[in-house]
Amino acid sequence: MPFNSYPYIAFIVVVVIGFRLIEIGRGRGRRLFLLAASYVFYAWWRADFLLLLIGSTAVNYGLGGAIVRRVAAGRSGRGLVTAGLIFNLGLIGIFKYAGLFAGTADDLFGLTLPIPHLFLPLAISFFTFEQISYLVDAGAGKAPRYSLLDYALFVGYFPHLIAGPIVRHNDLIPQFRRGRAPWERGEDISLGITLFSMGLAKKALIADNLAPYADRIFSAAQQGTHLGLGDAWLGTLFFGFQIYFDFSAYTDMALGSSCLFGIRLPFNFNSPYKAVSAIEFWRRWHISLSTFLRDYLYFSLGGNRLGKTRRYLNLMATMLLGGLWHGANWTFMIWGGLHGFYLVVNHAYRDWAARAGWKTPARYARAAHAGSVLLTFMAVTLAWVVFRARDLVAAASVFGGLVGQGRSHIVTVSPLALAALAALFALVWFAPNSMEMTWKYRPALPPGTDTGLGDPGRLAWRPTPAQAVAYGVLSIAAVLALSNLSPFIYFQF
Amino acid sequence: MQRSRYLPWFLVTVSLAMLVVVAFNAAADRIILNTPNGPSVETVPGFERVLKPAWLETVQPDLVFVGSSRVRDGFDPVLVDPAFGVRSFNYGVSSITAYEARRFAQDAAAHASVKTIVLALDAFAGDAPGPTVGDGFDETRLAVGADGAATPRRALWLFTTRYLSGGALGMHALGAYLLAQLKPHQTAADRPDLFEAYARMTAASMARDLRYRHDRAFHMLPPQREQFDAILQAVCDRDLRLIAFFPPDRAEIQAVYEATDGAGLAAFKRDVAADAQRHNAACRGKVAVVDFLQRSPLTTEPLTNGASGSYVDLVHVRPPAGLRLVRAMLNPAQALGSLGRVLVSGR
Repeated sequence: MPFNSYPYIAFIVVVVIGFRLIEIGRGRGRRLFLLAASYVFYAWWRADFLLLLIGSTAVNYGLGGAIVRRVAAGRSGRGLVTAGLIFNLGLIGIFKYAGLFAGTADDLFGLTLPIPHLFLPLAISFFTFEQISYLVDAGAGKAPRYSLLDYALFVGYFPHLIAGPIVRHNDLIPQFRRGRAPWERGEDISLGITLFSMGLAKKALIADNLAPYADRIFSAAQQGTHLGLGDAWLGTLFFGFQIYFDFSAYTDMALGSSCLFGIRLPFNFNSPYKAVSAIEFWRRWHISLSTFLRDYLYFSLGGNRLGKTRRYLNLMATMLLGGLWHGANWTFMIWGGLHGFYLVVNHAYRDWAARAGWKTPARYARAAHAGSVLLTFMAVTLAWVVFRARDLVAAASVFGGLVGQGRSHIVTVSPLALAALAALFALVWFAPNSMEMTWKYRPALPPGTDTGLGDPGRLAWRPTPAQAVAYGVLSIAAVLALSNLSPFIYFQF
Repeated sequence: MQRSRYLPWFLVTVSLAMLVVVAFNAAADRIILNTPNGPSVETVPGFERVLKPAWLETVQPDLVFVGSSRVRDGFDPVLVDPAFGVRSFNYGVSSITAYEARRFAQDAAAHASVKTIVLALDAFAGDAPGPTVGDGFDETRLAVGADGAATPRRALWLFTTRYLSGGALGMHALGAYLLAQLKPHQTAADRPDLFEAYARMTAASMARDLRYRHDRAFHMLPPQREQFDAILQAVCDRDLRLIAFFPPDRAEIQAVYEATDGAGLAAFKRDVAADAQRHNAACRGKVAVVDFLQRSPLTTEPLTNGASGSYVDLVHVRPPAGLRLVRAMLNPAQALGSLGRVLVSGR
């Protein structure tokens, strides 16, 4: 059930009312109710895969409990953690990557391995990662044993289930048990519906209106068209903005949905196109994924403790695997590799600048800042081409078009298109984001990164009647734009 | 307390706005579907992909026209229904893709009331690889999926499409506005300024259109042929008649098709006829193929007083001419004459 659909809107209304009634009555059963609602939410898509979710939850809960007991008894839980990793990575490997690896082996070595065509269970990448983090923490003695209900709800809690943010057990489970004061409940709901409205508007009014143009251009590239300069640039920029607003929208809607139950999810999106470097981009884009990769992969590989060369290799490996996590296609891995390369260059430059004592003169600071933002934006946007293209031939067609190699005229570089681009640049570079606008009311768990939040000024959200009417109108405009069912890009991962 | 008032204000705003939207859509829907001139709105461009699947569900027609804007402009149920004693529905949408044509035909065929589907073959004339579907197309509104299985939860999608979507709001508003412009005893035919399907091509507009379409080809690529064959497959076991036709584009543009890829045009006709014959040999539901894409009194009709009696532009015929085409397709023995030729009879 996508967040941007009428069934979800009806579903969330019913669940919030039910949850609040239970909360007012006896204050018990809330978690059970939320778990049942979460399973209904998941089963709406495909009921049979609910068994996979429940099975994965049960196995990991059993393993986690055993690990906690062993560690508490002073013994090592490493063997069980390894078993858990094999189980979880095996599950995701079978459903998500078996076809890719078998197909590639067939192509490379002329084998005739059977290529499995399995249906990818929704959210498997997310609930697998979250459970791995629990097992690893349990092995390190950093996780307690939870009740089955708490653990199952941590895995299945519907606002984060499908596409994140990736949550950690110790962030979420304590909140399930905490009651909310009556005045807090009102604030939660006001904040939740506001964030949800913002997200719905971004998705339905912006991202979904960019998608047809980007789709048309990338589809033509896929079919062998040599894209012209205008087509290639518009397609690239439109997709860059589409995925930005799509993921920003999803995050707002996930956080808003969770706020309705008084539960805060991790901070996940902080105007990434305002980043002045690739390093900062990853502190602003899909923050929960990048911190997960940093904590559980990059640090496990040695992080920056083993010298510079090893650090760069670790960065590269982390980003390559992070790219592949997005989907069973080598283009995702290349996209990750590109970002790994950006990060390596960025770190090397920083080290060099620090050693040389090089600093931008104060009078050029603003220009340098603007130049850095532009450079980062261009690097990220060019990498999106590989991310969006189905294969390298299509990506090459787009890149060729960007330097004027082709002659197609699929879309017109009209004054309207240019005005739309100008408006989009203004939004992503100069407007405050939803977190900045609502931060006074703490819509998310505090970010674990050091990128600050800007001052939203007069656009700060306040629970006044005037803003209620404004956001009400915005949400209706967004609902009316839901003519078509258009899934979020990150739902496929 | 400020905070506690936020929620009521928000909910009241949303509820009131929704109420207004739903009420307007319901009223406009009723007017369009129930007034004598209402079906003429099916010839109007707008958000056809959004609303026409829902309208089809209500109309439950005997005869459905599927195709591009050539179909949308050319067949007005207000003219067709009394002439043939049927209930028809115009399922034409702008720039229809081959896949959409297949899916709309499948949708029509899934309705028990439908006895005849008239399909314009320009939907399968692919000039270059393009998008699979147009803006606003959504499979959840159609009665069956591409595999023929019933669409789950369709009633919900149709309800929200009809009453809660911006596309429906736009189409309803446009339709209601156009109908409201008609004075008593006027029909769409009396207001070509409003119902563009009834506008007339002039020498100037023809020249402009010819410049616009100067390098058009009319051939069928393999992916488009697959979609055509999928339609044949979908109607194989149905007791309905499929009449596929090559549209009567003006002779001037036919010359362009010939010059651009004459062999491709000939192959298109040959392939469609071969597929239809193969289908008829194996299936219960029969397919007829009629070719109007040739020099005929219609496609070479001279302008009278500087305007065409049958065309809106080089490829769009006006509904009165559409009526002639329907007559020729439903009863070729008596009405086809020199208007076209039957490539496959479908008997």
